[in-house]
Amino acid sequence: MAIEGNRSDSSSLDEAVEHLKEAEAHLEHAREDEAKAEREVKEAIHEIEETSQRDEVDVHVIHVNELEKATFKEKIHATLQQVWDKSYKELKLERKPKDVFQTASAQPKSLMEHLQLTLEQARDRKVIENFHFGIASETGGA
Amino acid sequence: MAQIVPPTPVLDIARGIASLDEDIPRVLAFLGKTAIEELGWRRPNKSSLIVPIQGTLNGVTESYMLRLGFAAYRKWPPSAQFVNPDTLAYAHPVDQHHLPILTSPECHVHPNYAAANGKTLQLICCSATQEFYDTAHPVEPDLIWSEQNTFYTTVAAIQKAMASFYGGRFAKL
Repeated sequence: MAIEGNRSDSSSLDEAVEHLKEAEAHLEHAREDEAKAEREVKEAIHEIEETSQRDEVDVHVIHVNELEKATFKEKIHATLQQVWDKSYKELKLERKPKDVFQTASAQPKSLMEHLQLTLEQARDRKVIENFHFGIASETGGA
Repeated sequence: MAQIVPPTPVLDIARGIASLDEDIPRVLAFLGKTAIEELGWRRPNKSSLIVPIQGTLNGVTESYMLRLGFAAYRKWPPSAQFVNPDTLAYAHPVDQHHLPILTSPECHVHPNYAAANGKTLQLICCSATQEFYDTAHPVEPDLIWSEQNTFYTTVAAIQKAMASFYGGRFAKL
C-alpha cells in the first residue's frame, strides 16, 4: 500500500508540474499578447496625433481696437464661429456686443455671413486667403 | 436700439498731440513696424497724420490720401478727411475727385455734407471720425467712440469699407 501510495503521490506531482508548465506557457503567451497590444495602442495613439497635427493650422488673430494679437493652433474642421469664440480666450479679452469677425489684411472683409463655414471650407471657397483674422468693433454711419 | 446725439467734441490740441505721440509706437508695434514711413504714412505736423488708402473697382486700383487730425483725440476720434495729395487739404468742389465713393452702412463719404447745425463739410460718416460728432449725427449708444480706441480703429474702419463698398472716384467738377 505504501508503494502504491508513493506512486500515486508521484503521479499527482508530475501532473501538477505539468499544469505549472502549461500555466507558465499561457502566461508567456499572455505577456506577448499584452506587449503586442501595448505596441498597437502606442501606434494608434501616434497615428491619431499625427492625423490630428495634419488637421491643425496656425491661426493668427488681431483685435483692431485693443491692439492685441495672438496665434494659436486650431483644427481645420473648426468653424469660423468657433475660431472667433476661441480668439477671445487667446487674446484674453472680453467679447463686446458690437464686435465683428473679419479677415486681417490691408483691406479687411467681414466674415459675419460665413461663420458656419469651417476653416477648410472658407479657404476652399476663397472666402479667406489665409488664416489671419481680425476682430473689430462695428462703427455707425451712413 | 434707439439712437442718441452725442455731445459735440471739445478741442484739446495739446492732449491730442500727446495721445498721438503715445499711440504711434503702440500701433507700429501692433503692425510689426518700427517707423510710420514703413507703412507709407507721414506726419506733416504734430497733430496730423497722412495715411494712403487704396480702393479697387473692376480691377482698377486707385490711391487716396486720408488726413487724420488729432485736435480732440483720444477723448474723441481723429478728424478724418480725404485730401488733395498736392495740397493735403480739401476744398469743395475743386477737390471732390480726390474722394472715394464709399457707401458702407458703417462708413459713407459725403463730399459736401450739410449738417443740421448749419455746418457744410466733407463727412466720412463713421462713428470713428470726429466729423461724425461735429455734425451732431445720431448714433446707437453702443457705437459711440470709446477712449480706449486708437486712431488705428479709424484707419481700419475706412480700410474695411474700401474693401467691400468702394464705388470708384467722385467725378471731377
